[in-house]
Formats: sequence, C-alpha cells, structure tokens
Amino acid sequence: MELARKRLSVVLSSVASDSHTWNLVYLQLVLEEQGHDVVNLGACVPDDLLVAECLRCDPDLVVLSSVNGHGSQDGERVVRRLRACPELAGTPVVIGGKLGVDGDGRHTGNLLRAGFDAVFSDDVDAFRAFVDGLLVRVAA
Amino acid sequence: MTGFGGFVARAHAAGQLVVQPRMGFSDPGRMRGGLIATKLADATTVGTLTLDSYTRVGANDEARRALAEGAALNGYPIVAHDAATTASVVEGLRGQDFPVQIRHGSACPEHIVDALVRTGFDATEGGPVSYCLPYSRLPLRESVRNWERACQRLAAVPGSHLETFGGCMMGQLCPPSLLVAISVLEGLFFAQHGMRGISLSYAQQTDLAQDTDAMFALRRLGEEFFAGLDWHIVVYAYMGVYPKTPHGALNLLAQAARLAVRTGGARLIVKTVAEAYRIPTVAENVEALEHAASAAALTSALPVGDGGEVYREARALIDAVLNLSDDLGRAFVQAFALGYLDVPYCLHPDNAGRARGHVDASGRLAWTSVGAMPIPGATGRSAGITSSSLLTALSHVERTFDWSPMETPPSPQQHLASPVTKTVMRIQDTALTAAREYLRDNGFVELLPAIIGPVTDPGVRGSKQVDVDYYGHKYKLMTSAILYKQASLLGFDKLFYIAPNVRLEPPETASTARHLAEFHQLDVEISGASREDAMQVVEDLVRVMVQRVVTTMPAELEQLGRDADAFKDLLVSAFDRRTHASAVADLLEIGHPQSADAEIDWQGEEILSRKSSRPFFVTDYPKGCRGFYDRENRDVPGMLRNFDLIAPEGYGELCSGSEREFEYAKIVARMRETGENPAKYGWYLQMVREGIPDSAGFGIGIQRFIRYVAGLDSVWQASAYPKIPGQVSA
Repeated sequence: MELARKRLSVVLSSVASDSHTWNLVYLQLVLEEQGHDVVNLGACVPDDLLVAECLRCDPDLVVLSSVNGHGSQDGERVVRRLRACPELAGTPVVIGGKLGVDGDGRHTGNLLRAGFDAVFSDDVDAFRAFVDGLLVRVAA
Repeated sequence: MTGFGGFVARAHAAGQLVVQPRMGFSDPGRMRGGLIATKLADATTVGTLTLDSYTRVGANDEARRALAEGAALNGYPIVAHDAATTASVVEGLRGQDFPVQIRHGSACPEHIVDALVRTGFDATEGGPVSYCLPYSRLPLRESVRNWERACQRLAAVPGSHLETFGGCMMGQLCPPSLLVAISVLEGLFFAQHGMRGISLSYAQQTDLAQDTDAMFALRRLGEEFFAGLDWHIVVYAYMGVYPKTPHGALNLLAQAARLAVRTGGARLIVKTVAEAYRIPTVAENVEALEHAASAAALTSALPVGDGGEVYREARALIDAVLNLSDDLGRAFVQAFALGYLDVPYCLHPDNAGRARGHVDASGRLAWTSVGAMPIPGATGRSAGITSSSLLTALSHVERTFDWSPMETPPSPQQHLASPVTKTVMRIQDTALTAAREYLRDNGFVELLPAIIGPVTDPGVRGSKQVDVDYYGHKYKLMTSAILYKQASLLGFDKLFYIAPNVRLEPPETASTARHLAEFHQLDVEISGASREDAMQVVEDLVRVMVQRVVTTMPAELEQLGRDADAFKDLLVSAFDRRTHASAVADLLEIGHPQSADAEIDWQGEEILSRKSSRPFFVTDYPKGCRGFYDRENRDVPGMLRNFDLIAPEGYGELCSGSEREFEYAKIVARMRETGENPAKYGWYLQMVREGIPDSAGFGIGIQRFIRYVAGLDSVWQASAYPKIPGQVSA
C-alpha cells in the first residue's frame, strides 16, 4: 500500500511539575530529523494547557517527556484527561524519560493502564521505531 | 560598607576569593549544621540557604503540609517555617563575618523577599529574565512586575544585596556575550528599582580563554554602568552536564576558581563531586569549598583585558535593549518580543527561539544563528544542529574533564607528531638540562646505566621483572639502578644516571594515570650522606628544574593550559616533611582506610597530594613495604630511614629515596626478611662483603615529574614511546 502521508504532526511537551527542557530540545530534533512537524510546548505544561493544545492541533502523535523523577504521577493524571476528550480518545500518546526515582519498571504498567500507547526509558532507538510504525497506521 | 557586599569587598581587597555553596535542607537542625560547616571550612566563605521547589513556585501551603508530615523537601522553606525557627537556624552564625544569602529560583519572589527581610536577611539572587525564561511558563511581563516589587522591597533594607542569575541562562550552549549582556541588564534593572548592592554573575562555559574574555567584558561593563554602586562579579562553576568522575569534577571546579581569580571575580559558587548524581552532602560541599579555595590561593590575577569580541557583542546587545525604553522592565519585554535578546534553545513562549549556539572545533561557544539579535551572525560555515551533535555539545565539558586516563595513546606517528607531545618533550629536555647542570656544578658525575644484569631491584607493589636470555643465563632488565649505584660508590662519591627501568606493572594500573611499564629515573647516590642530605638534594633539584621551565618556557606552559602560578609556593618555600605515621593518622581521620604497616595506597597518596600546595616529603616508612636496601633505623627497629616526595594537586609520588644498608650481615638478614634468596645476588653480595661505603640516594621518576610540571592528565603523555601496563604498544 502506498503511504498517504510521510509527515506526522506531533505535540511534544513536558509535564506540569518538570522544568527541564534540554530533553524536549533533543526530542524535537529527533522528530524533525525523521521528517515530522513538531509543536513543542516546553517546560511545566499545566494539564489544562496540554489538553487545549492537543484539541487545537489535532496531532497524529502526542509525546510527553520528563526527567525530574516525578513524571509518572503527572503522566497518569494528564493522560486520563486526554483520553476523556472524545477527539483524543484514539490519538497515539506516549511518554518517556526518567519517570520515577527508583527505576522505571514498576511505573510502566500503571502508565499503560492509564492510557499511554507506549512508555520509553531513555532508549531513543525504540522511540524512533515506534514513530516509524505510526506512519503505517496514519496511512491506513 | 556593611552586609554581604561589604564582606565580599573586604575579602577581595585582601586577595581572598569568597567561596559559597548551594545548600538547602528543610530540617532546621540540618540546615544549621550545614551553615556551621560552611563557616568552619578552611576557606573564606559566605553561607547559603537554598529554598525548596514548593516555596519557589509560591506553594507555601504544600510546603507546610510536607513539613507537618515530616517529609524532607529539596531546600529550606523559609516562608513555611516561622520566623523564630529561621532565627534559630542562623543564631550566632550570621553576622558581619559570615553573611548568609538566600537562593531560590523564583519568578514570583515577593513572598520570599518578604520572608527573608522579616527574618533579618539582606541578600538574595535571581532576576526577571533569568528566573523566568529557563524554568517557568510565567509571561515575562508578569515576572518583570514581580521582580520590580521584590527589588523595591529589598532596596528598603540598608546594606541589602541582589545578585543577577543572568550569567547562567540554560546553563550551557549560550555564547558568552548574551550571558554577559543579560547579567548587566538585570543588574541595571535592580539599580533602577533602588538596589545599591549588586553582583553580576557569569557561569563558566567550555573554554578558559573565552571565559577569561567574558569575565573581562563583564568587568569592563560593570565599571561603565555601575560606578558609585557596591558591585562585584560572582562566578558559577559550570552549570551544564557535570563530570561524573571525582577528578573531573574537582578539576572543573578548580578551573572555575582560577578563572575567577585571574579576572578579578570576587566570589565563586561551587559545585561538588556529587553534582552528576544527587544533592550533595554537607561534607561534599565543604570539600568543594576547600578545593576551590586552595586552587584560588595558587592563582594570581592577569593583567586586565578589554573583553575583545565578547565585550563588543555584549555592548551592542545592551545598547539595543536600552534604546527601546527608559523603563528597563518594558525594554526587556520588547527586546524579547523583537528577538533583540534570544536565548538559544530556550522554549519559553516569550523567547523568539531563533538563536542557536554550538561548541566549535576549538572548544569555544559560537553562534550557529543569531536570529534578530543586533550582532554579527555566524562566521564561516557552521553545520546545523542535529540531535546527535546536540548531545555531543551538551556533554563536551563532561567528556573533556572526565576524559579517562584509561584512554590509550594514539598511534606512535600521531603521538610523536602531536603539538602536545612535542611541547612536553621540550619541557623534559629543559628540565633534564637544568638537572644535569645543577648536579655537575655540585660535584656529581654522570654515569651511563646498566640495562641488564643477573639480578636487579626486587621491586615493590606487585610489578614483575623481564627476563632476558644471556648466553643461556637468565638475566633481568633493570627495574631500578639501585644495585649498580651502590657498586659505583667504589669509584665515585657522588654520581647520577638517567636510567631506563622496566617494570611489568599489573594491567589494572593502566587506569591510574601514573604507571608506565617502561619509564626513566633520575637516579642519584651520595657516599657518606644522611637521609636529610639526600632530601635536600631532591628539594634543590626539583626547584632548579621547575624554576628553569617556568622561567624559560612560559609560552609552552600556557599552551598546555598549565598555570605557572601552581609552582609559586614550590619555588619559595621549603618542602614540608611528615612521617608515614602522621600521614596514616590523617587519612584515618578523614575516613580513608589506610593500614599503618603498609605503603600508602594510590588513593590515599592522592588525597594527601590534593591537600598540599607544594611537594612534600613522607618519611619513616615501616619495614616490609620497601626493599632490603632501605636502611632500618638503628634506634627504632622496624622503621626505615627513607622518604618519598609527593607532588601536590593529586599528582602523587615523584621520588623515593633512603639511607642504604651497606653491611653484609644486615643486607643478608633483610633479604631473608623480604623473601629474597641471597644466593641470586652473587656479585652484589661478594662486593658488599668486601666493603662498600655507606650512602644515601634517590630516584626521581622523570615521566611522573614532567607530568606534574606540564599538568598532564596522564603519565603516558610525558613519554615519547609510552608503554601502558598490559597493553601492546610501539
């Protein structure tokens, strides 16, 4: 099947409690190098703002990144807000970074149950592969 | 002058760099303990209360709830704690001789300033731009209004002081001119709202020479804009991705201290060896304060520079902003809206986000693009930033300072052709020329050393000897010249060699930065001499070699980044002498597990080495950790009449020496004690039985010595043909 589109529109964001931004700068470059369009919302994004921006942009993918060790609580909360919007119920939403202070493993299940499509640690290749895989879904 | 600024000014006038930690604990007792340790540190210090992140964002109720639940916060909640609690934290500590500054990071600082004024503080830091753009989503316009009110409140306190955080902006990849401009502009904003005591900050970046220019630019702009005010410059040790190794972290900190002293900076905020991992302990903070202070003490100021390109760009940025409005707050908002100020990689909605910086091939920060800023754009061809080049740039300083001594030498061709190797070899040539002249002038004869023999120095610390087939006999490559030196006394009272040694050190020593399998010693032996006579010759020789290099090769040292001030103390003061027993006691006291009956281990030697500003002797090692030829003390059995010379700054041992055993019976007894078979030492023992003079002597490890003089990361850099233990090489 010929792909209808090769570019995804992506909303990239931190979570409410995290003021780090170098991770977001880096991921924007990664996504742009794959040919995608990125709206980067930056640090300390309140839940309301993230929901509003996602409704406004209607993205093909939402990427949350957090490295301050508290990302999993913020992530679980905000993904439920996103999933509660009918427009975003089926939008791929992923999270990655340093999500907990004591290893990421035990957070993953909670995050997936809360509504994320995928949870990444710092494995950027796995993230790239996931994004590539989405092109097929978008085309379909 | 009183208060914070007055204290710093007095220290600066006295030639002391003020060093300061970042330190904050929610528990009042712990916070007080941190302040006491800061005050008692062997350094000129001011104290810090770093606030927690709840207080930073104004969530004081959450801070109170956490305190009530007994949860630890990541700083001191000055608003949530009542005034009496805070008073008890600083009681008897805070004063004219120990000011305490509040550090926070807030874009809405009014409640913090209220609380600090209420509790008797008069110094804090931040700024409308520097605490808004990088860490907050608050619109810049609101941050400006908040900081206007905070400044006015603080300015009403006599002697109050406010430091701009503008010299940090994102911590890394922001070229220095923009840091300098924002620092000056925030200082002007403070002054416009009544502050009379101001410090301008600059955060150490990627390149010492560029940082030096930036500091001179900041100083020149300070003189132009802040005349009549109480102002000084504060340096932040590197604020980006920090080295992970202790030596990398401490070296980066020492470089920040040297930067401050060289350029007239008055105060330094330190970072610790824990920086890359976690919030540091009080002890780690004290270590950092003392390490920075000792690096500063070995440094002197440079002639004042004009700030060069950094000054010109910063001045253009400042003028462009000042031309926008007489009201600096309004000018800031317009400048960011127009992109006249544009912080690279800053994602704040009020930042234009068109500027980019990178680390260029020479290690300096450069513009990739300047956006709409009124300064010349990128010079030459610069590749765009990619995700992988961004990671490389962000870790540039970390890699440079962590650069592991385990890294192997390049190919022989590359190593020999490298400008560093060539410069180091010329320094070695100069040092050896000076040594030969000194020794000859003092009646020594240079002999050429034996390379192989039926037996050699049995060696120490686990190294192995190399066997050579000599007409069917098993001969050895020399591990040291000791046996032949003693023999030569039969013909010469005072002699020396520059002798090659081969010791197959265990492969794990490849990573110590101080072991080579093949190296050279400047080997000296003096008939009829005492240990003290030998130590005096060592001291004179070291001083003569260093003096010659410092005097005749300043450009070469500069090229290697070696500060000649590191030798200031060595050249004028006698080397300290301490016993092995006292060195062991010192190490045990600071918690290093050192056996009293053994050689001081590498790590212990490095700890002692870092505590000194010039080489020092350790004497009287216990029998058992040295060879049979070191003479035993006749009055104190079990103690040897020997010594090591240890270099400062962590370079470790440079030289070993002793009075020698020369009587047949004693030598044989000592051989047996050390597990050596006297039967192997035929020719030597035959000679000793017939009588050799008593003597004292020593060997200076030439590559180790040159490593110290040239300030090299690893000893292999001081060898033309390096042989790293366990590695196949040329």
